[in-house]
Amino acid sequence: MSKFEPNIVAFLCNWCSYAGADLTGTSRIHYPPNVKVIRVMCTGRMNPLFVIQALRQGADGVLISGCHPGECHYLKGNYLARRRFLLMRKLLEHIGINPLRLRMSWVSASEGKKFADVITTVTEDIKRIGPQQSFKREAV
Amino acid sequence: MNIQKLRDEAIRAIGRKDVKYLIGYQRGSYGFRVSPAFIQTKEDVDRLIFSPLCHLSLTKYLTLEEIIPVSEEKQKASKIAIFARGCDSRALNQVIAEKGIPRDKLFIIGIPCEGVIDRKKIEARFPHVTDPADVIEENGKYIITIGDQSHEIQKEELLADTCKVCQYPNPFIYDKLVGDKVAPRPANYDDIKSWEEKPLEEKLDFWLDQFDRCIRCYACKNACPLCYSLVCILDRLNPQWVKRSNDTSENLMFHISRAFHLAGRCISCGECERACPMDIPLMKLNRKLEKDVKDLFSYESGKDSESKSPMTTFHVEDREDFIL
Repeated sequence: MSKFEPNIVAFLCNWCSYAGADLTGTSRIHYPPNVKVIRVMCTGRMNPLFVIQALRQGADGVLISGCHPGECHYLKGNYLARRRFLLMRKLLEHIGINPLRLRMSWVSASEGKKFADVITTVTEDIKRIGPQQSFKREAV
Repeated sequence: MNIQKLRDEAIRAIGRKDVKYLIGYQRGSYGFRVSPAFIQTKEDVDRLIFSPLCHLSLTKYLTLEEIIPVSEEKQKASKIAIFARGCDSRALNQVIAEKGIPRDKLFIIGIPCEGVIDRKKIEARFPHVTDPADVIEENGKYIITIGDQSHEIQKEELLADTCKVCQYPNPFIYDKLVGDKVAPRPANYDDIKSWEEKPLEEKLDFWLDQFDRCIRCYACKNACPLCYSLVCILDRLNPQWVKRSNDTSENLMFHISRAFHLAGRCISCGECERACPMDIPLMKLNRKLEKDVKDLFSYESGKDSESKSPMTTFHVEDREDFIL
């Protein structure tokens, strides 16, 4: 069997992490190509159900990345998201889904290097725990 | 609980000019069943009962869309009188806090509660009972009368699981209190704590097994006093979060969304679990979230009608160790 290449969906906030990912590219920093980026306006826009939906539709891991606390463009969106996903991770663990499949990070627009590091860490973790097969949505 | 006292209080409540009708309990169609009663006249009051069989969460009937027909002289009355035990009063508090129903539209008759019987447990003991049955509580025992037979059973054997760990049997919010206050039981999350220590694979196998059994009748949603959204995500077609097909993946999505919508809101009445025809341990999900919200954000739902739900607010010092 060929080596497992994980599918990771990254929800990046428009104001910090998306620009941070841009900087990673323009700075020519290498990072694993397993990540698919979806831009959201703010991490506070993230519905916890997006995560489950992504995991069901073929993602092996989900990364949510936004501005550092206190730097949110909308003032408090990332604080709300932090609470929400802290609890969501607890619920996933309770049900038996590895909480490593749901990661969160703060990456500002100037942290191109940090973004590459985050993606590397997440990809390695997901590679270690393997693919998500137990509750994949059946093709329709 | 003295039923006459309760009926007198009910007569006084519906005698008020501003009260439209009263929501209480009445005998159900057969056996141990209990159904909600909508009382408008003095004669109706005789239908009211209150026994350990009354497990329904009456708050649900405030937020239903159906409009109950009322007599002409009551048309202008604005209030609805309702019986509220400890958990019902927490549900009321939570609904008021969420602006689901205004406080001044309610006349609340508080009843300290000794715990209710799990109908599944009593029906397992006495299967296929069609005659009307009565239960009285006396000295830690239930005296069950079916037709002309009488049985005695220890209280703990039939008591609903949520009532065994009920911390708040006395109502928090009421206009009138009937009966004496009850001693609360200590908080007990031992079952959740021991579950947390199990390996992930075992937990996932267990839950997928449980979710596979789900027939998606939505009885849990319909019995829950806090699932009162007019447009529930489960009914929405665009985007369609949960498809109609009944398989592991869709069921898991349904159960996670149901549990997470109740995060920091669930008041642990246990109605969802009692309503479930497939015996899925739904309270195990709700209680986990309840415990975590208590530990992480030191919040307990329904204790007052002012404080904001933990998911709509934040602290700058919230835990952050999970963030990269």
